[in-house]
Amino acid sequence: MIKNVLLVDDDREMLLALQEGFARYGDSFSVLLAGDGVEALEYLKRQPVSLVVTDLKMPRVDGFELLATIMANFPDIPVIIITGYSTPRMEHLARKGGAVAFVAKPFLIENLARQIVSMLRQEADGGTLHNVSSGMFLQLIEMEQKTCTIRLEEKTSGEKGVLFFMEGELYDARVGERQGEIAAYEIFAWDSVSLAIQNTCTVRQNRINKELSSLLIEGARRSDELKARRSERQGGEFRLKSGPSPEDTQNGVLQKIECTLGMRCKVEDVIQDERWTGRILRISQCGERLKLGKLALAYIDQGDSRDYLLLPADQTVVAVNPKCPRDKLLQLLDE
Amino acid sequence: MSALFDDLLAVEGVKGVLFFSSAGELLFEESGVGGMGKSSARDWQALLVCLDVTREADLIFEMGRLYIRKADEGMLVVRMGRIAPASMIRLNCDILISEIKSKKGSGKPFGGTKLKPKKGLGRFFRLPEL
Repeated sequence: MIKNVLLVDDDREMLLALQEGFARYGDSFSVLLAGDGVEALEYLKRQPVSLVVTDLKMPRVDGFELLATIMANFPDIPVIIITGYSTPRMEHLARKGGAVAFVAKPFLIENLARQIVSMLRQEADGGTLHNVSSGMFLQLIEMEQKTCTIRLEEKTSGEKGVLFFMEGELYDARVGERQGEIAAYEIFAWDSVSLAIQNTCTVRQNRINKELSSLLIEGARRSDELKARRSERQGGEFRLKSGPSPEDTQNGVLQKIECTLGMRCKVEDVIQDERWTGRILRISQCGERLKLGKLALAYIDQGDSRDYLLLPADQTVVAVNPKCPRDKLLQLLDE
Repeated sequence: MSALFDDLLAVEGVKGVLFFSSAGELLFEESGVGGMGKSSARDWQALLVCLDVTREADLIFEMGRLYIRKADEGMLVVRMGRIAPASMIRLNCDILISEIKSKKGSGKPFGGTKLKPKKGLGRFFRLPEL
């Protein structure tokens, strides 16, 4: 697997010097460059990254903030801190925050490169496997009650994901910025994968809380459903005549939300509930009378344990936790 | 009276504010920057009836947006453009509603000393017993 190392520093010259210095390690890792924490987080969302090397003092999102975000959302990615303002307290804070190494400037590029290579080797210290079906292998991990981090790469699409096992129990999963159950299903839907096993697991909180076997079955069901939908789209006849089915619409809405907001979206259900139909129509009619046009989208809080997003065009209702990122959801669904 | 609503009306994107009593009577209506045409109270009342059990609603229409908030004192309706700082507007509504509550509690809803309001919000608040 190709390993990407993300270098983050607002000092452009420093970045270019590191890039040049690391060129000779091109067979071990490739380098991505980011000018600050914001750029770095964009990279982390879009591309698989194996390790981050970051400066501390940067504009917008600084090194400590970046470290905290990585630990919360990408806990499998080790972070090395480099800084020109090294103090024992800073080093203590960085290590407490989850950094695996702390390097004071000036340093020898060779030494940093050796540290990176050594860290990257740990990604596969438990071995690697190619062209396997993940299901059977993961059940073995469960049976042997192994604690490990498994990095998987889908053979055809090249998509990458991570599974976190603690004593045989699947604690968490990550694909890009998606985490937990959703990410696990995505990984379990992959047919053929290459995987690398690391004999440690940094995740301590069980985000999934479900039996592996039931997750694998649900993953397979979703995979079959996706394949069936793809083949229907290729065949096309039925779809052209009748438009998307309610299930397709609901899945599309859910996918759109989860792909953008991941587990933070707090969506509890996507339904087509006829009890809302009359109400949506009446609100829409009122809107027209008030010269606002038809209703495009609504967020309703009735003081219950769930709030509702109404999507009149899709005739769909999204039930959400009241603590959901309301404005982000409205902005996303209004696009 | 409208001073109570000034901060909310000054928020960018806010086109107008309306306040209805719990019985659906229009107590206050004011346009912000960019304004909004006056609509019939009956049309607004019809909308509020649709939202009867709703505590809070963000309604995005083709040509504008409404934020509706139910309080013990009545219903607050904020009309805005499609792109508006929604969280800022919600925050202003929180402040406004608590101000309305405290004014109501003090018996001086609009800060006056003579409490014989016959128009506007004053009609809605109970007069202190003399």
